[in-house]
Order: sequence, then structure tokens, then C-alpha cells
Amino acid sequence: MAIEAQFGWSGTIGEVTLGATRTDGGTRRISYRIGGGTTLPFLEKNTTSSSPLIAFEVCDYPQFWSPIVRNYCGDLVNNLAEWTKTADTAYKADLIRLHLNSTRQRNFTEIPAVGKTVETVLAASSLPLIIEGSNEPKIDSEVFRQCGESGQGERLLLGTAEASHYRSIAAAALAYNHSLIAQSPIDVNLAKQLNILLKEIGVQRDHIVIDPYTGALGYGFEYSYSAIERIRFAALKGDTDLAMPIICSAPDTLSIKEVREADPAVQDAIAVSWEFYTGIAAAAAGAEIICVRHPATIGMLRQAFASMQARAGPEGVQ
Amino acid sequence: MMRGMIRMTDVELAKKRGEEHLKETIPAIKKTFAYEDTAYHLPISFALTGTAVHDLNTARDVFTKTGNNPIVASECLLAEKTATSGKENAPFTGFIGDTVIRKLGYSLVDGSILGLALVIGTPDSPGTAAAICRELQEKYMLTFLAGPVISSLSDNGVKLGLEYRLIPLGSTPAYGIHFVDIIARVAMMFGGVTPGDAGRLLAYAAERAKAIVIVFPGLSDDEIALVDGMRVLGFPILSLGDYSGGAWIPSGADEVVRKGMEEKGIRVNITAIPIPMGCSPAFEGKSIRKEEMYVEFGGGRSTAFELLRMRSPDEIKDGQVTVIGPEIGSMKEGSANPLGIIIEVAGKMMKKDYEPVLERRIHNFVNYGEGSWHVAQRDLIWVRLSKEAVAKGVKIEHLGKLLAGKFRMDFPQLLDAVAVTLITDPVKVAEARKDAERIYEERDARIKGMRDNEVNTYYSCTLCQTFAPNHVCVITPERPALCGAISWLDGKIAYEISPSGANQPVEKGAVLNAQNGEFEGVNRFVRKASHGEIDRCSLYSVMEYPMTCCGCFEAIALMLPEVNGIMVVNREFKGITPSGMSFSTLAGTIGGGAQTPGFAGISKNYILSDRFLQGEGGIERLVWIPSQLKDELKNRLVQKLADKGLVDFFDKIADETKATTIEELMVCLEKAGHPALAMKPLV
Amino acid sequence: MALKALDIYKLLPKKNCKECGDPTCLTFAMKLAGGKADVDLCPYLDEQAKSVLGATTRPPIRLVKVGVGERFFKVGEETVLYRHEKTFYHPPGIVFQVSDTQSADEIAAITRRVRDETFTRVGTDLRFSGIAIRNTSGSAETFAGAVATVEHQQAHLPPVLIASDPAALSAALVHCGSYRPLLHAADRKNYKEMSALSRKHGCPLVIRAPTIDDLVQLVKDCTAEGAQDIVLDPAPENLSAFITRSTQIRQLAITRSVPELGYPVWLDASSTGYQDAALVLGIVKYASVIVTSPLAPGPAKACLTLRQNIYTDPQKPIQMNPGLYHVGNPGRDAPVLMTVNFSLTYFTLEGYLESSRVPCFMLIVDTEGLSVLTAVAAGKLNETLVKDSLKKFGVENEVAHRKLIIPGYASPLSGRIEEATGWKVLVGPRDAAEIGDFLHEEWKKQE
Repeated sequence: MAIEAQFGWSGTIGEVTLGATRTDGGTRRISYRIGGGTTLPFLEKNTTSSSPLIAFEVCDYPQFWSPIVRNYCGDLVNNLAEWTKTADTAYKADLIRLHLNSTRQRNFTEIPAVGKTVETVLAASSLPLIIEGSNEPKIDSEVFRQCGESGQGERLLLGTAEASHYRSIAAAALAYNHSLIAQSPIDVNLAKQLNILLKEIGVQRDHIVIDPYTGALGYGFEYSYSAIERIRFAALKGDTDLAMPIICSAPDTLSIKEVREADPAVQDAIAVSWEFYTGIAAAAAGAEIICVRHPATIGMLRQAFASMQARAGPEGVQ
Repeated sequence: MMRGMIRMTDVELAKKRGEEHLKETIPAIKKTFAYEDTAYHLPISFALTGTAVHDLNTARDVFTKTGNNPIVASECLLAEKTATSGKENAPFTGFIGDTVIRKLGYSLVDGSILGLALVIGTPDSPGTAAAICRELQEKYMLTFLAGPVISSLSDNGVKLGLEYRLIPLGSTPAYGIHFVDIIARVAMMFGGVTPGDAGRLLAYAAERAKAIVIVFPGLSDDEIALVDGMRVLGFPILSLGDYSGGAWIPSGADEVVRKGMEEKGIRVNITAIPIPMGCSPAFEGKSIRKEEMYVEFGGGRSTAFELLRMRSPDEIKDGQVTVIGPEIGSMKEGSANPLGIIIEVAGKMMKKDYEPVLERRIHNFVNYGEGSWHVAQRDLIWVRLSKEAVAKGVKIEHLGKLLAGKFRMDFPQLLDAVAVTLITDPVKVAEARKDAERIYEERDARIKGMRDNEVNTYYSCTLCQTFAPNHVCVITPERPALCGAISWLDGKIAYEISPSGANQPVEKGAVLNAQNGEFEGVNRFVRKASHGEIDRCSLYSVMEYPMTCCGCFEAIALMLPEVNGIMVVNREFKGITPSGMSFSTLAGTIGGGAQTPGFAGISKNYILSDRFLQGEGGIERLVWIPSQLKDELKNRLVQKLADKGLVDFFDKIADETKATTIEELMVCLEKAGHPALAMKPLV
Repeated sequence: MALKALDIYKLLPKKNCKECGDPTCLTFAMKLAGGKADVDLCPYLDEQAKSVLGATTRPPIRLVKVGVGERFFKVGEETVLYRHEKTFYHPPGIVFQVSDTQSADEIAAITRRVRDETFTRVGTDLRFSGIAIRNTSGSAETFAGAVATVEHQQAHLPPVLIASDPAALSAALVHCGSYRPLLHAADRKNYKEMSALSRKHGCPLVIRAPTIDDLVQLVKDCTAEGAQDIVLDPAPENLSAFITRSTQIRQLAITRSVPELGYPVWLDASSTGYQDAALVLGIVKYASVIVTSPLAPGPAKACLTLRQNIYTDPQKPIQMNPGLYHVGNPGRDAPVLMTVNFSLTYFTLEGYLESSRVPCFMLIVDTEGLSVLTAVAAGKLNETLVKDSLKKFGVENEVAHRKLIIPGYASPLSGRIEEATGWKVLVGPRDAAEIGDFLHEEWKKQE
């Protein structure tokens, strides 16, 4: 008579496919299926459930990127193809997340360049790709169409849809069969509403990844932590409008005071600690994709996940 | 009449002839045919039946399967003709490949294109077509052209092509079939329509594809059959003269675009308001002092009122602003003038109930103006225009334009048309105000009288779930939300305006316990909304299964078993109550989504409701309430009690001036002969 | 299942005698319902009522104190599985470990580190909680010597003694027995002696077993031997086992399904092989006493920050101290931006201001931690508060101009603030992300 706690779950987390291999019309060497959880994170009995995926973030305009990463990676950041390749082969990320932050420049109009950038990154690494597009109503339509087109067939994950602007990214997702990230400001009800809006415009549930917005550790992280727990709880209790996998990216982590003002001798270590602690906690709450910017965080996360999962690494279809 | 009789085409007759002719022509198909750059074969047939049509057999097959559908026939015939005679030369596009269609579909979904139009036939005067196409372009429609209209346009110097959103499909109206195969492909690419699922295709075409057809004269019978066949897809067919009968909508050239878009519910969103003053929420708090004002209206110095009314669409013209009476130019600086603000709105989803909710926005919108200021509501308003604004050229009519624009911008789904009338003529203002007052009274009567048994649907509210994850308020006409801010009507309107928002309908269901207000549907809803934490909820009871609380309740009703009564304490009262606890102690324990029998968070106004304490036998249970709250409610409460025949009861209710401990309260209640002491035991 | 206040009230004597310290039985009933009172306080309850009430009103997880004096910490008395359901009440004690095979100097240095090191965040001093001494040598004498070295530093830190040999513990307790040390651990083999030691010195005892079932049985056996203040060590072989078992223990305890599991949980992060990950998991997954090797500055700060974050009451927002804050080096013509003292608002705005690279002042007013929207709606953010704050923090001495930028959502107050203060009000964006553009465009226009 083994004593066991009962939770009374009635729902499961939906599954989303990231990346398309040759058999599915793409050129990725691996395709991931995330989601599928039936209980609290890391409590699954099913041995085929997978660890959270680790995404390494790169960008096409390093001037807007953290000086800590620029310092650590050196000249690499100026050569996106090389940087991407390194992220794959040396840093050993599970996914690449490309930030098209060149679009944040004032009066940006170089749309064809965006297409080229996406193609470059797709060629440099055959890992599944997440693309973070523009956030400027004037160019969003063009930018997302270009991303969608350039990545056609690869089952990208496009970011980021918000309640006030989601049509362009939804159009790209629908037109070119990609998935998208739906972000809400740390509010479970708003997350649900956005998913409903997306459903109304035709985006299928299995093409949505929820981003509850992650505040940096010490700068609102606990709100995000609880939002992740609440979303997962609602999903497991049968709310299908919240039953999507969750992505965690705390973009301000490397620019918060403790990291920014750290002694140069320990700055990298502090940056990595900050990203690592955030990532493990988010994973414990239920996040399925953890995004990081400092290369050294990746290996640490992977090792820890292995022990938390006590099983093999991410489930992939080769 | 004479002219028309010679040239009019009877649509019904022509259609029948055309359908017959198409049926006869199908068997004449000889060649095989296939379009390039498409994964969807003949897209319409493919979408409807799942069959890939490329020759006579398959054509006959789908034609029969779809009940001899003229659109299917037209598609097959044109495909064969293209294979036989080859593609037409530029500028005609003929069949457009999937790659381009994908791009077009993208623009439809992301909203850069509002809808699709097919313009087909032979215009009798050259300028007409050009004007119509220009209007379509301005309204973000993607227009497809088929027939002599194309040469008419290019002869007129109109540029055609994808980048101009004017796409010339082919030299005869028969090429209009490509309009339909494009929509069929968009449905399959974006709308999740599986080939063969005819029902879904028709639903997608009718609901999602915002498509209209504008028909010029000169269509053959076959072509009329083709166009008429598009009605089943939900496309309104607008005809410019020449056609009679059928379900085609006759229209003049200068209104055909507007009519078509209205018919299909395609709305252009307004983004800017063309007035010489800024308009933004940033100006909301700016008041206009006496020294700064040019003129004022109302505020006790003159008559002024505002009113919003619903009208039917043909009664008003969208964007129309009328000033009845003197304009700003005739008003002396520093003067007070009469003003009537009348907003008339129309919309398919608009309801009379929404009038007061929308009317309240007049206040915000006028304050958004940089140089305009507004307080109060109804016939108590006070409005000012600043000297600075008037110097910049702002007139009364601009205030109207601001209101018309803001109402359309803020309620794009709800309102199709907004017209504003501003009356400044003193006699007319007085007259109109009388009508307005009548309407205000009607509205008040309607809400006051609303009873819980009159409605089957209550409304939930989850606005404060951030702090109490399992809490849900159930709002009824006689029981407002416990924060005091939301009434049943507010919840209903909020739901209708944003169906996926924080207010959802709760079907009452069967009555399980009338006195306690327990309903089957409410229980079911609460169970789901609290993720299984709460099983039952009695709307009118404090003792048994009371509603959960978040933390923003205005007051708490709780049991005092020693005196067999219920006491109420509100947030503002800082002292210890006879229960032994203060408001904040109580709030800390019963909040957070808990259901605590014996304790309920309520709004202050609920105390005046007939349902208050109904579960416990009625208001006679009320034993203690802070004096400040008692004063606040006094007039209304005394009235209510008198209505119930409880004339002396008000004074029997104790407050902190009479008792602060339970012992003192007991003595006090006994002395007063409080009815609760003799009622059924609470515990 | 927990009883509700009304049901508890029905079982009370209803005399309002006030001998329990509360003015009415109703008050006492509510406290019992919330696990915030001891049923023994009522002198008029019969034994049966007491046991029924006791079982259902006693806090589901026992409160355990470790250490004495200023640095003691208490853990337990938790009631929820998710912090968002209510809150986590008692942050875990995170202790640095030393081994009795280390030199006296090393042991002393680590002890002093825990004594002195403070990391201040949001007005709170964050520190590590105690010292664990491990009997690596196996010798009772060496162990006792190491404990003595620790105590010699006069740090008065809560001690945690890790030894499997009761004799070693006994020797060590000579040096710290009256300081309420936590003893690790009683297992199937030594539980009788361990329980005796814990009883003798009145100190809490860790009970260790490899499965939940074994743990339950061992708790029963130890309590039979008189152990009361217990901490559970589920002996996880990897992080996965820790997450699973700790979650199970928490859920079974708060639902009162298995009273034997109603105790705080122990995690030795240092022996998992993944110390940092274990620290995170310990903090978020219910560990109340966590042992770690001394941490480098990065992990140390991250660890303390995570503990602070997770153990913040979700219903009580953290507040900044009101005042005039500098971003960069603002001069006399630098913009002054007013906003509320909700910490999240402050940090969000500060972050964007930093990236805008425009030196400026942040005037933080006291809205008791409410956000802008809420404070405006509740009337807490009003012209009087702004006027008083401008005066209190001497803003007029810092800048030559009299222009105040207010948050977009506070626009309804703009006119009234101008009237009350005499300053010109500029209404900023609603979204803090746009403040950079606002400063570069709108503010520049002012100059």
C-alpha cells in the first residue's frame, strides 16, 4: 500500500511541434514535440516525457545586445552565421532563437534584408528555429510575412503576439504553417483571452505557445512564477484555452542592477547564476522552453534537467 | 420606366437559361486541363467535393454531385478553354498561382486588406468604373475585375495590377470565376477547410471572406447564372441599373461600395479625427479655468443636456455632424450658452440597453479634447471650450466630429454609424431636453424594477481573480458585485461587447432552494470556475454556502450567534466590532477566494436590496452596522423598510455608539425589542 | 479535511469567557479555522471536542524552531501547495556547511561569513541562516572539536549537526546543546538513540527514510519515542526524486491525509551533485532546511533573491521607500518623473529609464504599494499626495524647472495636480516601454 498524493487532474497540456524534418517538408535535423504533460512538472510517470528545451538567443543587431554577451562571445556576434553555428555545435543549445532587433532601429524599412537574415540562420544551423520579429505596427505586416515566407516549411515558432497586435503574426502562422508565441502581461485571464482571440482568427491550439512574460529574478520574477503555475493548474483542471506549453524568457536578466554593476571579475558568473536560477525555477513551475543569452548557462541547465528528469534528454524525432 | 423596359434584364429568367446552357455545354468538354502552380486542382470543385477535376469524366462527376451547380460548371469550362486557347495576354492574369494567393490571404488575415470585391461587366459610362475602383482602394478592399470594365479602366488611365489592388482577371465576365477559386483556396489554406467539406467552405465564405460583387450591364445568361450562384457563398450581389428581380441589390454608382460593404459588415476603422485640436486620453485630467474659457454650457448657468440614442441604420448617416443654432462665432467670449448633445448610433449588434453605458463615454471623449472639458451627466452637464482652442479655429461642429470619431473608433464591432447633433438654439434645446428627461426616467424605471426572477441569465465577473484565483462573483439584478462597481446590466453589456472578457453569462438553471437563492446552473458554473474547490453557492444566504470573496468587498456581513443576528461592517470603519474582530482582521480571513459559512463580502448597496439576508429570514436579522454607513444609507433604507411595513425597525439596528462589544449589544437589542432575538436560531 | 469557522464554533462552549485571550468564541473559532490558534487555550472543551478540533485545526505542518537568540529561524506552518493560493509563510533556512576534516581556520572563516555577510534588497537584509557541521571524519572527538570551533566565533548561528553516530552527536551537543541545534538524522537503525538525544536536549530532529511509506513508519516510531519537533529527509537519490517526494509530502500534509507527514522538509543540496539546481528546487519545492557548500557571490545573491521572491506574500505587494531617486547623473534641468511605490512599477520604469540614457529623477510617492491604475481608482494617488511628496523630498531644490511628468494612466489627475502644486504637468505614456521615445521627443520639446 504505497502512499501517494492525489491531485485530481482532468486535462492535459496540448502538444506543439517545433521544426520540420525532411519527412515533413523541412530541412531541420530534428523536430520536437513539446507539451503533453498530465501532471505537475517532473512528476510524470511516463518515461518518454521530455525535459525542457533550452533555446539560445542570438540577434542581428548586436549594438542593441547585452555587453556581457558581446564580451563573452567576442567577434562572433558580428557574424550571425558563425554565431548561430557555434550556438548549435559548441554551446549545444536545443533551439536557436533569433531576435530581429535590427527592426527596432528608428524608421527601419529593410524588409528584404530580414528575409536574407532568416535564410542565413536557417542555413547555419539545422536546429528548429524561433524568430522574434518586429514590434512596430508600421512594419509588422511586412516583417512577419517575410519571416513566414523565408521559413516556409520549417515549422518555425514566431514571436510575439499580444492582445493589441496579433494579426500579422497570426497571418504568417496561418499562411506558412508556423506556430506562434502568445504573450500576456503576467495575467492568467488575459492569457486565456488572447488564446481565444487567436482561435477566432483561425490559429489552432496546437500552434500556440504561451508566454506569460517573465520578469527578471528580483524584479517581478515571482509574479511570473505564479502565473506559470496557475496556467498549468488551470490546464490540468480541464481549461483547454490555457492548455498550451509555456516559454520562459526573462529578457532583462542581463541588464538588472546586480548583474550590470557586478565586479568585472565575477560578472559572467553572476550573469550565469541569474539566468540559471531563473531557468530552473521556471522549469519547476512548468515552462517547457527556457531561453538564455549567456552561452555558459546552457550546459548547466542541461545537466540539471537530466537529474530533474532522471531520464534521457529532450525527445527528438530525427 | 420606358427606358428601363427596353433594357432591363430579368435575372431569374436569365439565370435559368444560363444554368440550362451550362448543363448542355459540359458534355462538350474534350481536352484535359490543369492549372500551373497550384496544389488545389480546380480549387472550387476540389473544395466542394474533394475530387481533382482534369477531364470530362471528373467534370461531369462533380457537376452532378453538386446538383448541376453553375459555378462548378463555369470553373470546368473556363479551365478547358484556357487549356485549349492558352492564357490571355497581359494585363489579364487568368488563373493566379498559389504563391501569390498565399500572400493575398496573409493580407486578409492581418487586416491590411479589409475585404474582396469583384467588379464585373461593361460599364456604360467610363468614369463610373474609375470612381468605384478608387473608392474601393481607399477603403482597403482588394478588387478583382472581369470583362470590358478592365479596358474601360485602363482607357481612363487607371493603373491596374497587384500593387494597386486592382486585379484584371480576364477579358470576359466569365473570368470572374477566378474570384471564387481564390476564395476557395484561401479557405483551404487559412481557414482549415478540408477538401470535400462543402459545408465548411460555405460557412467560411459566408463568415470569414468579406466578399462583395458589383455587376455592370452586359452579362450573358451563363455569366448571370455564374454570378447569381455566388449568393450561396454569402456574397451580396449589387447591380448597377439594368437588372431586375432575383435577389440582386440595385444600387446607384455613388453608393454601391458603401452599400456593399455595409451589407457584408465590412467596416473601415477610423484612425484619425480631422479637427483642429488634439484628442488623447492624456488630456483627460486637464480642466479649463474660468480665465481660460471662451464659452461654457450648463453648470447651472444655462441649460445643457446630453443623450445617446439608438437608431436604425437608415435613419442616420455615419459621421454626420449637425449644429442647430448659433456657432461659436456668434457666441460672446465668457458667455454661458445652452447646449444639447445628441448622439445617434446604429449597429447590427447595438441594443437599447447599451444606451446609458455608451452615453457615459461622452464625458471621457469630450475631456480627451485638448481645449474641451466636461463634467457630470444627463441634464447636469457642464462643458467648456478654451480660448486657446477657439483661437486655433475649434468650432462647435468640431466637438461633434470628435464625438462621432471617438465613438466609432472605440466601438468598432458594435457601431456601424454614429451621427451627432449639437443644438445651441435656446428654444430647441429646451424642447429637446424635455424629450431627454422622459428617456432618462424610462431608463431609471427599467433598472429599478428589475427582479432576479425575471431573467434566466446572471453574469459572472473575474476581474479580481489576480488576487483570488478561485474567486468568481455571480451578479444578479438584485445583487451587484461585492466590489460595488458592477451591476447585472454592466455585466451583461460587457459580455455582449467583449464575449471573451471578464464577464461571462451564467445560466440559472433549476431552483434548488428559493429562499437561499441556490440554483443548479449557478452551482455548476461556480464548481467549474473555482476548479472544483467550491461545490455550491447560495446567492442570498450568509450562513449556508455563501458566495466566495476576493478582497475588494465594500463591506462584510457576518453572523453574531449570541444575538441570533447578522451584523455588517464596512471598510471605512476602523474599530473593533461586537464580533470581537475589526474589518481588516475579518477581511484577511475570509478573502482570497474562500467560502466561509457565516460570513459574506457584499457591496454597500446590496443592503438595500430585497434579497439581502433573504436566506436568513430577511432584513430583520440586521443587528449592528457602523453609524457612518447607517447614515449613508438612511434615507433609502428607511424608505425600503417602510415599504415592507417595518416602520420602527431602523432605530432598532444598533451601531458603535450604542454597543461595541457583544455583551453591550445583547443588552441593547433586548431593550429595543429587536426582532432577531425571536427569530429562528441561526446556528 | 479542515473544518470551517462555523463548524468549529458549534463545538465551542460559546461562553465568550475571554480566557483564551480572544473577546468572543467566534473570534477564537476563526483563528482555529485558519490554523492560527491552539485548541488547548480553551479551558472549557471536553476531551472529545478537543481531539476532534485539535486534529483538524492544528496547523497541518508543525512549526519547528532552529537555533536561539537573534538569528534563530522557524519553519513549517504552511498551508498551501501553490504560493498563489495564499502565500508561503516561512522562508527556508539555508545553511552553509563545514566538514570536521577542514582546518579550524577554514571553519572559522565560513562561520564568520554567515555571521557577517548581508545582501540588501528592497529594503530587506538577506542573509544565510546557519552553519551545518558534518561528521565526515567519523570521529566523535574531531566532530565535537569542529562544533566547538564554530561556537567559538560567537556568531550565535543556528547549528545543524550532521552525523549518523549518536555518540558523535552526543559529544558535539556538549558545545551547542542549549542552542536548539537541528540533528541529522534518525534512521531505521539509530532512531531510538536519536529520539532520546533530541528529547534530552529539546532540539528538533531530522528523520530520514528512502521512501514515503518508510518515512511515515519511522515518524510514528520516533514520535512514540517522544520526538516532537521533526524535520523530514526523504533521502532523494536525484533531483527528480526530491521534487516528487517533497511535493507528495506537502500535498499529503496540507490535505491532512497523512498526519505523520505534517512536518517541514530537509534537503542537502551539497550532496546532490547539482548544488545550484538543488537550491532552486529546494526553495520552490517546499524544502524548509537546505544545506549547501559556501556559495560564490553569483549563486549566493541569486539564491537569496529567489528565496525572497518566492516567499513574498502575493497579496501584499512589495513597496519601495518613497523618495526622490536618481537615474544616472541628473542635473538641474533633468526631467522629474512621478510614479507609485509599487516595487514592480518602480523597477520596470527604472529599467526603461536606464536604457533611454536620459539622466532623470524618479519621484516615488507612497501609494502603499498599489499600482498606478489601482492607486488612481482607489483615490490613493491624488494631488495632495503629489504636492506633499514634492515638498517632503525637496524636489524644488533639485531642479530649476517646474515640470512634472506623470504616468499615462494618471492623466485624470493632471489638472488637479497642476492646481495643487503650481507645477506644469506633462502626461507620459501609459506603457513604461515608451518612456524612452517620450523623453527623446516630448521632453526635448520642452527645453
